[in-house]
This record gives sequence, C-alpha cells and structure tokens, in this order.
Amino acid sequence: MKKLCLAVLGIVLLTGHAMASNLEYFKVYTPKQGMSADEIMNIEYFVKYTKFAHDASFYGKAYFIDKSGSVRERETTRLRITLGRKSDDIAYKDLVMFTAPAQVKGLATLTWTYMNPKKEQDTWLWVPSLKKIRKISAANADDSFMGSDFTNEDILTRRFEDEAYTLLREENFKGYHCDFTKKTYYQDAPCFVIEAKPKRSPWYYSKRILWVDKATGAGIYEEMYDPNGKLFKIIFKKFQVYNVNGKEYPAQELLEGKDLRTGHRTVITNEDIRFDIGIPEDQLTEQKLMQSRW
Amino acid sequence: MKKSVFVVLFLLSSSFAFAEGQFDFSGYLKNEIGIRLQDFNGDLQKFKNIAEVAGEYTVKEDVVLFAKVKYWYDLMYDFRSQYDKGQDAMGHIQRTDWLRDCYLDYTNGAWFLRLGKQQVAWGQADGITVLDRVNPVDLSEYWLQDFVDMRIPLWMANVNYAPKLNSNLQILIIPDFEQSTSAPIGSSFTTYAYTRYDNWKESMKRIGGSVDENIYFPAKKFENSTFGLQWSDRIGDLAYTLNFLDGYYYSARNTTIGLGGVRFKVDRAFKRWQMYGSSFNKTFTNPGFMQGITLRGDLALYKHEPTYIGDPVTASAKEIKRWDNVFWLIGADRYVATNWLLSFQFAQYILDEAKAKDNTRPVQQQYPLNPFTYGPADQVENIFSLKVSTDFMNERLKPEVLWSFTDDNQGRISPKVTYEVKDNLWLTCGIHYFYGDLLDSNGQYREQGQFYTQLKYTF
Repeated sequence: MKKLCLAVLGIVLLTGHAMASNLEYFKVYTPKQGMSADEIMNIEYFVKYTKFAHDASFYGKAYFIDKSGSVRERETTRLRITLGRKSDDIAYKDLVMFTAPAQVKGLATLTWTYMNPKKEQDTWLWVPSLKKIRKISAANADDSFMGSDFTNEDILTRRFEDEAYTLLREENFKGYHCDFTKKTYYQDAPCFVIEAKPKRSPWYYSKRILWVDKATGAGIYEEMYDPNGKLFKIIFKKFQVYNVNGKEYPAQELLEGKDLRTGHRTVITNEDIRFDIGIPEDQLTEQKLMQSRW
Repeated sequence: MKKSVFVVLFLLSSSFAFAEGQFDFSGYLKNEIGIRLQDFNGDLQKFKNIAEVAGEYTVKEDVVLFAKVKYWYDLMYDFRSQYDKGQDAMGHIQRTDWLRDCYLDYTNGAWFLRLGKQQVAWGQADGITVLDRVNPVDLSEYWLQDFVDMRIPLWMANVNYAPKLNSNLQILIIPDFEQSTSAPIGSSFTTYAYTRYDNWKESMKRIGGSVDENIYFPAKKFENSTFGLQWSDRIGDLAYTLNFLDGYYYSARNTTIGLGGVRFKVDRAFKRWQMYGSSFNKTFTNPGFMQGITLRGDLALYKHEPTYIGDPVTASAKEIKRWDNVFWLIGADRYVATNWLLSFQFAQYILDEAKAKDNTRPVQQQYPLNPFTYGPADQVENIFSLKVSTDFMNERLKPEVLWSFTDDNQGRISPKVTYEVKDNLWLTCGIHYFYGDLLDSNGQYREQGQFYTQLKYTF
C-alpha cells in the first residue's frame, strides 16, 4: 500500500529529479532544429517534470486492465508546487490524495523531490487504518508504479544523467491509436527520434527509443527493449497545451502503458488541470498531512 | 447530554448541508470470521459483521464537518454457548462506540482547530504504543485490530498553531474520559490475569464468601481532563517531535482488600500519570550505503506509571507502585529486491526497578508484574518486530508477514494475504499464531491461534 501510494505521486505530476542542465525553472523551452540529443532530452525532462509551472493541481484516474479485459480503477487529486530552491535543495513538493475506491480513500502521499539528481525523495504516507503518518523509504526504481505497467523510474525517478543519448533521426510520427479512447493521436507530428541507453548495467531494459514532439519537447511515445534486445513495453503520452498567463504549458492528459509480455495495460487520465493558482507551500507539509480526515 | 446535543446539531447541520452540496461520504460492509487453529473443525472465535459510514461536509473553505458511525454484531456469540458469558460485551458494539468520529475542523492561516470526538496518534512506532497514548484502546481482540478501530475516540479540543513552515504546536484539552477495555470473561482473548481473577471470585462465592467490586472513575471536573502538548519541527532533514501528556492512566488498577474471613473488596481506580517523550524520523536520501533506509524512533518517560507488584510465580498482584518507566523504540525500513519491503523494530520497556523497594511484603511478592498475566515482568523487556511485505499481479495480491517477539521466547507470527477481487471488494486471509509461556503476553493466547478471513465491500 505504501509503495502504491508512493508511486502514485507522479502520474501527472511526474515529479522527478532535476537534471544537470542550465535550464531555468519557470520558463518554457522547446527544441530547436540542430540541437544535440542531450539538448533535446534536457528539454524533454524539463517538460516531463513540468518545471515551467509554479504550481499545479490535477484530478486523475488510473485504469488497470488485464489481459481478460477486467478493469480496476483508482482516483486521485493532486497538488504540486515547484520550488527550485537552492537553500534546501528542494525541486518539487507533491501531495497525492486517493479519493476512490473507498478501500483506499484517504490514503495520501507527500513527496519532496530534490534538485540534486543523486538524492532520493523524502516521502510521507498518511495511513487511514492507522490514522497516522509514516515516513517511508522510496520504492525501487524498477518496481511497478502503483501496480501499473510503468516502473517508478518511468514516472518518478529517471534522471537525465541515468542514460546516454543518440539522435537517430527526425521523422513524422506514424500516429498512436489508443485502445482506451479509441482515438488516434499525433499522426504525422514532426518528431526527433532518440535512443536512450541506461548507464546502469545490468538493468531491466537495454534501451529506449523515444519520439520527442518538436513542437513542445514532450516525449510522446517510447519503446522499451529488454536485455536481449526484444521489445517488451510501449508507453504513450498525450499532451495538451495550456495557455497560462501568456505562456504555453504542455501537460500530460493521457498516458497508456502496455506490457507486451503479460498483455496487461495501464491508462492514466488527468482532468481539471490547473497551473499557477498560488498553492501555498504550507499545504504540502507533514503537519498538513496529519490533519487528514479520511 | 452536552455530547448528545452536539451530535444532533452536527447531524442537522450535515443534513442541511447535504442539500447545499459539498457533501462526501463513503463506507463499508465487512465480514470477519475467526477460527481457532487448535480446533480447526469449527471452534469459531468470531463471526463479526461490521457496517461503517463516514461523511464530510465542507461548510465553507475553512470549516468542515466530519462524522463516522459504525455498528457491528458478532453472530458467533449466538452460535456458541461456551462463550455465553462474553456475549453481552462482545456480541455487539458497546455504549457510545458507534460514534467513531464527530468533529468540526476550522482553519485560519497558521491556526487549525479540530473540535469534537476524535483520535490522535503520536509517534513513529508501528504496532507498538510508545507515544501513541492520547486515546485509550480497545483490546477485546488483543492487538489484532487495525489501530483506527482499536483506539477509543474521545471528545477533545485539538488546537494547532504553525509558527513557521514545517513546524507545529499542538495543544490537546481532553475533558472526556474512557477506560481502555480488555476482553471480558467468555471470549477468546480474555487475559490470563482476568481469567484467574474470575476463577478466584467464583471460588469465593462457592465457599460462601463475597467479592465486592468497585470502580472509581475520575470525577467529571475540568481539572481532571487530560492535557497534551506536541511540538513538531525539522532540523535539516530530520523531523522530530517533543511530546507531553498529563492525565489519568486509561487502565484501572485493582487493589484487593480483605474484609475478614472470605469477604473481599476489590477497588479499581485510575491513577494520574504523565508522559514526556520525543520522536524522530529520517530517510537517508543522499548516496551512500544507508541510502534508501528510513529510520524512525520514539522515546517516552512514563512518569508515575501505575505498575503492579506481586508474586509472579502464583501470578498474584499485591500492590501498585507509581514508577517512572521508560519505553523507547527504533525502527528501520527499506525496500530490497525490487518490491520487497523489510521493516524492523527494536524496543525496550525499562522498568524503574527490578524489585520493589520499601516494601514490607515477603521477598517473593516484591516483583513487577506483566499487567496482562500477572506473570513476571523483566526490568528490561526487549521487544522485536519484523515485517516483510510485497505484491504480485500488478499489486492485486499482497502478502505480508509480521513476526513480533521478545527475548523471553514468546511472540506472534501473523502472515496474511489480501486480494483485490474488484475495486470495491477485498478479501483477506491470514493466521495469528501465538507462542510462549502461559504467563507471557503472547504466550497466554497460545491456544487461541487463529485462522481468519475478512471480506470487505466498500462504497
């Protein structure tokens, strides 16, 4: 349960560690023609972890669909503030509260993510069955993210420094047909195609091939290959651009992950996404978590 | 009366609120079946059906009402005549226990107030109440229930002020009083001490004697309230609390007075005590061999804790001493091998003395006693717990094993598996296996090992 919550954190918020880059917080970056693979991936991580926004709130749903078509659901509300603060090294603070189903209602996770890419997150869990906060350890990077087909590092912890990048080509994306929404996305969208190889070895994957949208810098599709070079997982992300105070923020509205070995897939949707609404930092403290009611 | 008025007002305001919107509720129906391991062919320990509903109404952004009600009925006491003596206390929910929460939250800047019936949990320990002593506890099923069900909620004012980010001063004023409850005679988890006491009482009656029992609750006066204080803050990435509690000890202590012949008087009284304590937690987030480990700990000095003194060989309490005892715990958690969580705790309960001083009783009657069994209590009791948990099938199947034990070769092993049948239907199966000497806390239940199932439907 703790791990599940821990993991949930990132669905939309996609909290993560800051990469070793000079990109300034609270600015919007898009990739340019002629950029290197590293420069493109720097922007991809920046977008993925929404470092452009001061804060955000989301309402999210996750659907776990097994091979037989059986569906389980989770619903959450989330708050996030981006700090990028050097004094205490905090990059983000995230609060995720489960709202459904009733069995997990009230479960809440507070996570602080640090700018130092080598530093793990601090995580607190409000456990309704204890009516108590528990400080918990970060889940392992290769563990399933909330029981989904994503790993924790897919969503939460993978950093720019964890992989080596090669620009393979530029091409128009063939389009992705989402089984959940029955729609096709990003057909013919101009993309950079990047190969990312993990520096850690042995590891559960040998490489990722990413399609990065030229218009936003968002990683919209990726293929993951196992240590034998066999494709075992695909991840799709649909972004929507929000105009906030004249700035254009790309935000993830839909994620779909498919495990090709088990036939299990996960769909995450984010609704009612709001940026820069002035969430005070004292809403994301251990003390506030202790005031939970459910 | 005042409480009833509050509840009625609360419910009225909630129903009014429902019409206005911003109302949220959820609940569950649950069946719990327990079967004794020693007689697996059908010696039921419980067949409990539980219903719980909680509702929240947001009056306005800074004012929220919350209430939770619960009812349960244990059919086992209808099915099994050998438990007849326990039916009244264990067959259905007792007194005002049906109202689990009923409070109003008010937030104004750095201030947060929670007024009403509630429970407050202090400390970092898991399953061991070092600092978690604000509310009394219901031990009618020993320590096997979830803590949210085990704590007995109290009416209180819970006032919080956050002078700076990540800090908080909490003040508790608890004019309410409830005693901690234990299993009655005629139930699976009746303590050994209580069973022996009941046997003695019955034997007195058989020979024409009498045992006059009296219980003295603290008078309902403001000065008899429980007062609590907690300061929480951070030093770097170490979070800590400082705690203080002053109130009546929730467990009454018995004093037996001979009235001549086979006539006895047993007075049960509550004693005032204080708790001074502290807790901390820290996760090692920086690279190094400790990275990924969470350390947490509690430390408490129980000032004037009522402690039984007597003869541990005959399991007979003779006197109550007001000792200054210390209880501390340290725990470590870490994920290993992808999704296996190991959680280890070590605790020491240190009594003020190994043997009573200034005691005029015979030497064999001067020893501190285990309050559950009146068996021997070590001056330093070493307590360990190890929990291993993981998950399979995309976290649909969650096995867990808890082993808690002491250095006296007594303990409990509790494996369980939870399976999510559907979003709103969860099945848990498990075992509680107790071992140890009859006079030890866990050993007293060595014949009450349990296989159990829990089927929970949520809405």
